[in-house]
Amino acid sequence: MAKQLGFVLDANCCLGCGACVKACQNHHQLAPSVSWRQIRKVEKLSNNHVQKFYLSTACNHCGNPECLRVCPSGAYAKRRDGIVLHRSEKCTGCKSCVASCPFGAPQFDPTNKASKCQLCYDRLDLGMPPVCVQACLTGALVLKELDNISENQLLRLTAPRPSLRLTRPSVFYKLPRATKLSNPNQIMD
Amino acid sequence: MKLHYNICPRNCYDTCSIVSTTRNGVLISVEGNPLHEYTSGKLCPKALDDVKKVYSPQRIRYPMRQRGRYSGFWERISWDDALDQIAKKILGLKEQYGTSLPLALNKYSGNFGILHNAMEGLLTGIGATTRAVGSPCWSAGVDAQTLDFGSFFCSDPLDMAKAKLIWLWGVNPAWTAVHQMPIIFDAIDHGARVVCFDTHFSATAARAHQYIQVHPGTDGLLALGFAKVLLKESLIDPNLQSYTLGHKEFIHYLETEISLERCSEVTGVPITTIRELAVEYGQTHPACIWAGFGLQRYTNGGQTLRAIDALGALAGHLGEQGGGVQYAQFETWRFSGAIQNPSHPINSSSKANQTSINSLTLNPQKTDRCLNINQFSEEALVCTDPPVKMLWISGRNPLSQDGNLQQWKKLINQLDLVVVNDLFHTKSSEAADLFLPVTTHYEHWDLNAGYWHYWVGVNEPAILPVGEARSDLQIAWDVSSRLNTLAPGSCTFPTSGNEKETLLRELSPKMLELLGLEKPEDILKGPIRAKFPRTSWKNRTFATPSGRYEFFSTQAANAHLAPLPIFVPPLAPSTNTPLRLLTPHHYSTINSQVYTLDTNKTQYVLHLSPELAQRYCLVSGDRAQIWNELGVLNVIIEPEFGFSTDVVVIFQEQFDANSPLNCLLGTPSTDMGHLFLGARGFALNETFVNLKKL
Repeated sequence: MAKQLGFVLDANCCLGCGACVKACQNHHQLAPSVSWRQIRKVEKLSNNHVQKFYLSTACNHCGNPECLRVCPSGAYAKRRDGIVLHRSEKCTGCKSCVASCPFGAPQFDPTNKASKCQLCYDRLDLGMPPVCVQACLTGALVLKELDNISENQLLRLTAPRPSLRLTRPSVFYKLPRATKLSNPNQIMD
Repeated sequence: MKLHYNICPRNCYDTCSIVSTTRNGVLISVEGNPLHEYTSGKLCPKALDDVKKVYSPQRIRYPMRQRGRYSGFWERISWDDALDQIAKKILGLKEQYGTSLPLALNKYSGNFGILHNAMEGLLTGIGATTRAVGSPCWSAGVDAQTLDFGSFFCSDPLDMAKAKLIWLWGVNPAWTAVHQMPIIFDAIDHGARVVCFDTHFSATAARAHQYIQVHPGTDGLLALGFAKVLLKESLIDPNLQSYTLGHKEFIHYLETEISLERCSEVTGVPITTIRELAVEYGQTHPACIWAGFGLQRYTNGGQTLRAIDALGALAGHLGEQGGGVQYAQFETWRFSGAIQNPSHPINSSSKANQTSINSLTLNPQKTDRCLNINQFSEEALVCTDPPVKMLWISGRNPLSQDGNLQQWKKLINQLDLVVVNDLFHTKSSEAADLFLPVTTHYEHWDLNAGYWHYWVGVNEPAILPVGEARSDLQIAWDVSSRLNTLAPGSCTFPTSGNEKETLLRELSPKMLELLGLEKPEDILKGPIRAKFPRTSWKNRTFATPSGRYEFFSTQAANAHLAPLPIFVPPLAPSTNTPLRLLTPHHYSTINSQVYTLDTNKTQYVLHLSPELAQRYCLVSGDRAQIWNELGVLNVIIEPEFGFSTDVVVIFQEQFDANSPLNCLLGTPSTDMGHLFLGARGFALNETFVNLKKL
């Protein structure tokens, strides 16, 4: 039965500490210039409140992956559990996926091929969580079967350009509460 | 594949239990131990890089000698040669001066494992020597809490999950104690509200419900302001009479000396906020304050902690499950100290009840010449009878961390021999003659305790030493052996031994009792939690002379300190140096310890408020310079939300910069630290600079 696995991030609990990034880099022995997972800092200021949080993001294993669509050499495949796989043996290093992914997930490796998060499918097949999820200190990052989650209070991560929402990224995040500022004048100055 | 238990020996709240995996004798991965309730199977991003660190190409694998200090011209030598040079120098100095006092040791928390105290033991075995005493970290707060409570103790950190209100005061666990964050989130899930007090909007503030920006060094006054509100609103504990001393004097002080208007003006916190927060703190039970170390790195640091303790006491939060004022603790460090006292082999019957917190405070022998670790170079330079001629640096990097670098350079110039034990080259090894490569915690036996949680455990070697690295204990044995070969009887420290047996001897009867173990070998089964109740001071019987919580401390008065917690203003900026420089820890490292080996940052980043940047005509990415009477530093400007206009901040990241950050530091002292730790602390946050665009 086809399903769709995807990351769900509770931004209330993400510290932006980068343990997920390190765990990924070390486990997959990535070159220093490559990181399949990234931390983005978001800051929104309003009157007396500030919303500052971190988004730990990797490949979104889209429902309708653009990388798969554009790859001329058929290096991409979508598994029945929804994981978008990149098969480096078929990759010619043409960079079509690097240029077309709206989330910048595939990266160009020093091996002259693209590479990206494979959702630790080898670990999943053994019943183990992806290393990033395993490393998360606060449990902010989890892997879910997206068809089964209630989307209540969850936001779908979307690409900056509306047309690219069509890729249907398999990732959700829970928006964090804001921090109240008691002396905003002093801080906002 | 084999699994091994290790313990992260860094000077950090978390003291994590690690499970390491080896294949064919090679370390291949490290993970948090799931059976350790605090580590809970997770490691911070720093420790996750341990495998890379152990096998780093930059790691020094052989003893080295530098031909000309600061020349960078290092050549490999044999251990034989290195030990010979060291032993001959020690014996030569002893003969020349008739004492071993010219030999100085500067050691602290590079590795907090108990067996690293072999360095102290070696020097004690040689005779009276010159020692760095005290701590660069937490001294003023330790003294303050010891005056108030009688001993230095905190609740089990898991107790915080029970709190209904948590005040994170001058502490940034999202960066420096990540394992506490799930506990705080647990409390939030159960309805707790979290308020974060800091000088800048930290990663922890971003996860809190409310953030209060406090002018640096004025936290003590803020605590007293809160206390005054409690008084006015009749929210003070009606039972104070039964378990505290001097609450009337303290209340009188609040009534006569503390005004909310001035409190608001000095701290920068609006009066309405002070009132609201104080009322919430008084009405919510349990309410927990976690006071951080940064708070007390001011000239008034001890008073600040005493004021915060007093606030907790006044509201009746002490001894409350999930409440209290938490700072850190010594109680799980009651090791025998056998390793430090080779001339007095441990006599378990006579020492059983002695409170031996030596292993953490490193109390030297009476005959030693003790220099404040925070003013080491200045104090060493005035030693003339006899002068300091040989310096051994171990588990420290003073040339990157200490103040008064000019004096340090002068001291180095007068020394015959400088020896550094370390893993990597550092600012300090640039000034050394000999570099002795040491093992990591994956390569030796050790014994570790936390100073925040209650866990104690054994660190077992997972791999053989990399290259020719040796443990500090092995080095101490080897030096003693060489000394005794050259001059029989010249050192009473053992000349050889077994690391595992040495660590078992550290488990005094008192320690075994605390851990609920029958015999020392039982600790080899895995880390174990000391059998203290989860809540400190639960029965409200305190360890002070009066047995009560002491608002009024005669011990303080005897030490010429105010008997009550009072507000003393921090240092003020001058017109030449109008900005306060704060240099807190970054998530990627602890002080100058090597974590990220592939750093490409070559310039310090100066974080400041956009308004301040504008005042100096600076925009993001500009090159600028900060300076004061001690030094000059080039920086890159990063204006950011959440900073006040009187501070600039450089986080202690790893920079590959020529000029060290501490070139701007003097050696201002905290008000306390000398009572129970032997020396005043480092008022690091009283550093002022000027700024200009380049």
